Amino acid sequence: MDRLLTVIVLLPLAGFIINGLLGNRLGKRFVSVVGCGLPVLAFAAAIVCLLDLRTSGFAPLVETAYTWAVIGDRSFEISFYFDRLTAVMVLIVTGVGSLIHIYSIGYMKEDTSYARYFAYLNLFLFFMLLLVLGRSLLVLFVGWEGVGLASYLLIGFWFDDPDKARAGKKAFLTNRIGDAGFLLGMFVLFQALGTLEMDKINTAFTSGTPPMVSASLVGILLFIGACGKSAQIPLHVWLPDAMAGPTPVSALIHAATMVTAGVYLVARLSGIYMHAPEASAAIAAVGVMTAFFAATIALVQTDIKKVLAYSTISQLGLMFVALGVGAYGVAIFHLYTHAFFKACLFLGAGSVIHALGGEQDINKMGGLARKIPITFATFAVATAAIAGIPPLAGFFSKDEILWFAFASSFGGSTLLYVVAAGTALLTSLYMFRLLWRTFFGASRLSPEAAHHVHESPPSMTGILIVLAALSAVGGFVALPHFLEPLLPLPEVRAELVAFEAPLLYVSVALAFAGLAGAAFLYGGNAERAERLRRGFPMLHRVLTGKYFVDEAYERFFDRPLFWISERVFLQFGDRKLFDGTLHGIAGLGRRTASALARVQNGDLHLYAFLVLAGIVATLAWSWHHG
Amino acid sequence: MIETLLLWLFAGTALLAAAAMLVLRHPMRVALALVVTMLALAGVYALLGVHVIAVFQVLIYVGAVMVFMVYVIMLLDVRDRSYSGKFSRLLVPGIVGFLLLLAVLAHALWQDLPAPSGAAGETAFGVQQFSVAFLNEYWLHFELISVLLVVAVVAALAVIKVGRRDHG
Amino acid sequence: MDKTQMLVALSAGLFALGLLGVIVRRNVLVMLMCMELMLNGVNVLLVTFAQQSHSTVGAVLVFLVFVVAAAEIAIAIPIVLLLARRKRTLDIDAYVDLKG
Repeated sequence: MDRLLTVIVLLPLAGFIINGLLGNRLGKRFVSVVGCGLPVLAFAAAIVCLLDLRTSGFAPLVETAYTWAVIGDRSFEISFYFDRLTAVMVLIVTGVGSLIHIYSIGYMKEDTSYARYFAYLNLFLFFMLLLVLGRSLLVLFVGWEGVGLASYLLIGFWFDDPDKARAGKKAFLTNRIGDAGFLLGMFVLFQALGTLEMDKINTAFTSGTPPMVSASLVGILLFIGACGKSAQIPLHVWLPDAMAGPTPVSALIHAATMVTAGVYLVARLSGIYMHAPEASAAIAAVGVMTAFFAATIALVQTDIKKVLAYSTISQLGLMFVALGVGAYGVAIFHLYTHAFFKACLFLGAGSVIHALGGEQDINKMGGLARKIPITFATFAVATAAIAGIPPLAGFFSKDEILWFAFASSFGGSTLLYVVAAGTALLTSLYMFRLLWRTFFGASRLSPEAAHHVHESPPSMTGILIVLAALSAVGGFVALPHFLEPLLPLPEVRAELVAFEAPLLYVSVALAFAGLAGAAFLYGGNAERAERLRRGFPMLHRVLTGKYFVDEAYERFFDRPLFWISERVFLQFGDRKLFDGTLHGIAGLGRRTASALARVQNGDLHLYAFLVLAGIVATLAWSWHHG
Repeated sequence: MIETLLLWLFAGTALLAAAAMLVLRHPMRVALALVVTMLALAGVYALLGVHVIAVFQVLIYVGAVMVFMVYVIMLLDVRDRSYSGKFSRLLVPGIVGFLLLLAVLAHALWQDLPAPSGAAGETAFGVQQFSVAFLNEYWLHFELISVLLVVAVVAALAVIKVGRRDHG
Repeated sequence: MDKTQMLVALSAGLFALGLLGVIVRRNVLVMLMCMELMLNGVNVLLVTFAQQSHSTVGAVLVFLVFVVAAAEIAIAIPIVLLLARRKRTLDIDAYVDLKG
């Protein structure tokens, strides 16, 4: 069909408009049907597009929807572009998105703002699809900003709680800082190349003559934007706070799709990054630091969603490591497997929270394996997947990343590998810790929660089963090789080829070591973990305080800004300068008027005298000038 | 010859009496000075040949207006603060302004006086000529004047009634 | 100085003296009389030029001025009477209620 790409994008928009305007009036069932049905239709359309792509020999499908502006001899169009990479992204977004929509029917059943929730969720899907389907950086940026907006709306969904509203604001503002870098990158690109269409940009860089602009400069600027969106250091602070939103939102936006937009951006513009070794090195460095750093924090978190949030930051860091060493397809592969198991983990966490009537502290859980078996089973499968236990999905993608981190000739190094491997070990450790503390051991539930415990409805557990199954077998789809014609894998250093098999075993060993470590420390009543904690109080304090990054930002950025706003702009600028000027002018008027009003003192002599003076003056003037 | 002398005499008298008006303390004396001025002016008009106007000057101004004025002065108690300090605080500025005004008027009048189309005193205004003109050509003004007088009478009555209501 | 000039000077003098009187005298009745003086000054001027112009319009105007002066006095004096009764003085410095 001809306009199918536009249809894919517009279906969730229609859902937003219908549910937004009519949802409250037409009841929950209508909202559910529209809100979930349209994304499912979009998924079906995406599959049709993939088949079209295949029949056309994987030549990209291009559709121009609308000419936005023509300025001089440049025109800006809203056009959509569908190639292998887009196919993967669209299928993930619509597929996992639809699953999460269906899960939300059960999760948000009791909520009064049911229609508004689905409207916002559809709005998010619309912008995300704009982002991945856009041909030009301009359309991508519209989608980029739009998902930021949707994220803000959904994090602060229960806006009556000021803390939750503040979390939404924090997410949006942190994103905006990244967007400044993104915009600068766009400006430099446009000025150098005269176009913002990404396929043209890539060919400009990969053709023989490189354009007159530093690829590394553009690369770093765009990466700053990616840092904001994908929560890398130093712009990672919004993601843990974003857990204030409903859990399906965390699953969709802050695990599977929105945060991966940064990874998609770099992968899409692989043409630039292949010719920007400095930028790529920076990306790899930031990625691996973020990965390790977030993993250490996840080790001591006690809120089930916060553990998963830091885990997401850490996994995104690993994706950026892959991008930094030139293995773009591998990063997308990890994005794909991560979508499955992270969504499953988040939705499972949602199921646990739902089962316990709102409890999120893992210190108050335990012994739930028998009580909520389906949730437990799916959560366990997803945990094993993220830890990298073969043959589940996470093992394949993570092992590829570690291999290229070690052996890529485009920036791979032993140091990079060691830190990444350390992160993998920590990942396994903290995820199994989560599993143990939540589901095993003696029950530490509060009496009300213990009374309340029940398995979630089939609309929720069904999705968990689907996602767990995908986490299990998803790894067998050889995505990097599917993407290779578009995103070539980097050269491996010849002398290191021999290490491929040993490193594979090391990966497996790391995963199981994490499992064993968690079982050892947290099995039983977790007294060994407790002793460990008491043994390193300072370290524990630093980790629990998340390395005090938020506090540092508050001290070094927030407070000076507040001071400037308060003292300089408000008291001096606004009150003294503007108000003072206005009051001064008004006061001037008043004082002049009161001075002039002294003429009107009721004394007739004065009036007569003024008449005389006026006559004399008028006569003198007219007779001198007449 | 005699006429010119008389004219100058009457004009001088008028001016002197007017100046005296400004310096006399008792309002009754001021009123009498004004009467002298008006009579002198009547003489001027008569010497100019406009007897109608001269008569009306005496009848209306002296006979009605100044009489009324004298009645009121006799009615009221004039020995108050304006009696002891007869000049306002704008005396000096007033005099300065007066001199300036005279200077400006003199400067203007001495340059731009039109040449007399006929020597003064040639055309005499008889009552007959006057009334015919008034009731033929200027009948509208005549009617309006009547209305004005009626209005004045009504206003005076209204003012008096206001006073009466206050006290009764 | 010929006759016309002298009469014009007379008129200017009377008018200026009348205006000066309004400015410098404190008694309200004296001020009224000075206003009459001003009107007289104007009348002299009117008569002078009317008499030179061979038409009757000047005389009619003078007559109208007389009538207006009479009407004015008919109203002004009662007002002054009432004011004097209320303020118990003829000093114009006491009549400052219209201040501001």
